[in-house]
Amino acid sequence: MIRDKSNYLKILLSVFFIVCVILPLIQVLANIDAASWQELLQQPKFSESIRNSLTASTLSTLVSVSLALLLSFCLARSNIRLKNMFKIVLTLPMLIPSISHGWGLKMLLGNNGILTKWLGLTEGIYGLTGIVMGSVMYSFPIAFLMLSDVLSYEDASPYEAASVLGINKFRQFTGITLPYLSKSLISVVFSVFTMVVTDYGVPTAIGGTYTTLPVSLLKEFELNSQSGKLSIYGAILLLPAVAAFVIDLLKKEQSRSGFVNKAIKPRKGVVRDLLCYAVCIVMCVVVLFPIVAFAMLSVMQNYPYDLSFTTDHIIKTIDQGGDVFLINSLIVSALVSVIGTAIAYLCAYCTARTTGLFSRALHLMSITSMAIPGLVLGLSYTIFFSGSALYGTLAILVFVNTIHFFASPYLMIYNSFNIINKSLEDVGATLNISRPRILRDVLIPQTRGTLVEMLSYFFVNSMMTISAVSFLANIDTRQIALMINTFEANSLMGCAAFVSLIILVVNLIVKTTFYILKKALKKNKPVKTAA
Amino acid sequence: MENQNTKIVVNDLKVVLGRKTILENINFDVKDGEFLSILGPSGCGKTTILRVLIGLLNPTGGTVIKDGVDITKAAPSKRGMGIVFQNYALFENMTVLKNVEYALRLDKNRKAQSREIAMEMLKAVGLEAHAKKKPSRLSGGQQQRVAIARTLALNPDVILFDEPMSALDVDTRMILRDELKALQKRFGTTMIYITHDQEEAFAMSDRIMVMDNGVIHQIDTPENIIKNPANDYVRRFVVHNLQLKIDSLSRFSTVCVKGDESAQ
Ligand SMILES: Nc1ncnc2c1ncn2[C@@H]1O[C@H](COP(=O)(O)OP(=O)(O)OP(=O)(O)O)[C@@H](O)[C@H]1O
Ligand SMILES: [Mg+2]
Repeated sequence: MIRDKSNYLKILLSVFFIVCVILPLIQVLANIDAASWQELLQQPKFSESIRNSLTASTLSTLVSVSLALLLSFCLARSNIRLKNMFKIVLTLPMLIPSISHGWGLKMLLGNNGILTKWLGLTEGIYGLTGIVMGSVMYSFPIAFLMLSDVLSYEDASPYEAASVLGINKFRQFTGITLPYLSKSLISVVFSVFTMVVTDYGVPTAIGGTYTTLPVSLLKEFELNSQSGKLSIYGAILLLPAVAAFVIDLLKKEQSRSGFVNKAIKPRKGVVRDLLCYAVCIVMCVVVLFPIVAFAMLSVMQNYPYDLSFTTDHIIKTIDQGGDVFLINSLIVSALVSVIGTAIAYLCAYCTARTTGLFSRALHLMSITSMAIPGLVLGLSYTIFFSGSALYGTLAILVFVNTIHFFASPYLMIYNSFNIINKSLEDVGATLNISRPRILRDVLIPQTRGTLVEMLSYFFVNSMMTISAVSFLANIDTRQIALMINTFEANSLMGCAAFVSLIILVVNLIVKTTFYILKKALKKNKPVKTAA
Repeated sequence: MENQNTKIVVNDLKVVLGRKTILENINFDVKDGEFLSILGPSGCGKTTILRVLIGLLNPTGGTVIKDGVDITKAAPSKRGMGIVFQNYALFENMTVLKNVEYALRLDKNRKAQSREIAMEMLKAVGLEAHAKKKPSRLSGGQQQRVAIARTLALNPDVILFDEPMSALDVDTRMILRDELKALQKRFGTTMIYITHDQEEAFAMSDRIMVMDNGVIHQIDTPENIIKNPANDYVRRFVVHNLQLKIDSLSRFSTVCVKGDESAQ
């Protein structure tokens, strides 16, 4: 603790957070004025969109989390094969923007949808049903991943004890599993709810006249980008995330020792396994359907009238600048990946490997970004940075994405650092091994897997984000994901499908590459001894 | 013991963290080559004393003198001391050998012989056969031996131990006790040793320091502490506790002796 040079680093990082998170946010909230409130309260549309948002998000959360529970149980508590493959397919939707899900759904179940015809429906599923379905499509994988993770850490001993005592399966579920899951379930529910309530991709694509808060915010933005009403919308959208954030803080960190005491081994059960297969396969088909539809629509002349093969949409996408925008996106994503990972890594190093008030304050600042939806973040940046040299550059997109996706990778590495012996730096000090050396020679080699995951997370998410960047990108810095918006507005289905497909493919390639890298790192951990 | 040189003198040590006074009026000295144990209930400030001695914590007041030199403000690595923690704190990504060698290689004067010294230290703790393994593949006792070898490698004249055996099973502790005493004899190192195990303290130490709540109640030889406890606290904490143990032990041994006799 003596002669701690890490304080300089902490000051630097704090300045970064103050400029990139706290000040913009304060500015948004400061923009709220009484007149705008009055005005909004008199609009029936306002309370209607609040009601709509609440209804749609609550329903979506319920469905999404229930499905996630079902699927994660099927995978964790059965002996079915191909578990990894199911997991990969079920999480594929995480690699495409939410608007594509809405858009895909419209192609499947809209007025002229593929399935609408097949099923002989007379009307498409616009409005509430559509929003819920679309929201479930893209929020389900996240809930599923979180719950699978929790379930895979559960200890078998309580179940064994219960079985010995003759307690039946149902009582075991209510008495052991639910209490074990309850804490995580709260987090999952809040994450999903926040994600859905602040999303505008799905509602714009398939909401029809069913207007939700984010859509109202966007409409308001198009009318008057300086309006005080924007800030009110922003503040409301901030609420659920802030609640989730506070609950997360209050909740004592579940001490997970990093290894399973005794892994649960599902017993034999042919019927159960068959049922699990059925559930997994059905869900995989549902998940894959829109993706296959993208692939088909990208190369079909004019669905549903002319199904012949064409490269028109691909050419059109390129004509409209798709190649340039793709490069923009790749540049931004690569920069966010590297810069975001570097900042998150150093930040977690300070907060997890040093003690004191300053480091706790920095930790709080680091996870604050969790409470800011992309839409609100983008809005705050337009207000705070407009007129500055940063405005309208790729750099501001890099910053906004770094902050937008900061919390998850930060927490990944924060947890990794926390499992590593706390006395290493002290031992180093007595052996004349400096902190930077310990970081380089001991901590980094032990956290390389996490580093790779962080790089991948930042890249994939900035590749497909729309919310924050939609406010900030101009004609020179446009991101490819934003093209989906434009194509949608012009009813260019094929092009929108093609762009979604490109994003999926890029993300798949990146994810696979990082996955292979991680595996390789695991295999040849440095065993070398100095010559 | 009287004619031994004094290694460390601690004067009027005081440590305040936040608003809490952790240590006050701490005065003691340690003789060259001595084995001094520190006994006391949890939270009484034992670890804090070690952290001040080695320089990981700046005291609020007081001085630490080693070999006649005031080292209160010296950097931890410049004190000629080593420390061994309860949780080993090994570099998990390096082999056992590399763990011991790492600090040596960073030291210009010892870089050339680093491999040689490291192997010698591993031999001293009986681990030369495990040099190429990662620490995680060793038992707890073996890992602690690596930590000891790593500390010994820099040739400190004082080694501090913070409950080094608390995480080990009884058998391993018994063995490690003897090994540690043998190492002390061989290298002539002064050792200051925190433990919760009173029997361990009485078996290993030249002198024992009994602490409570940030103050020292008594520092004396094991015999004197039993014969002349300085106050009620020491009597209750140490003597009473130990008496119980001796009682149960002697009862146990009479049973054994009887058993042996009948077998003969
Ligand atoms: N950074 C700190 N800030 C405030 N108080 C502290 C700090 N570190 C330790 N303390 C307090 O100082 C007191 C002494 O701590 P110390 O670790 O020295 O006790 P100990 O005798 O080693 O206990 P144990 O046997 O449990 O290891 C404890 O009450 C502890 O709560
Ligand atoms: Mg202690």
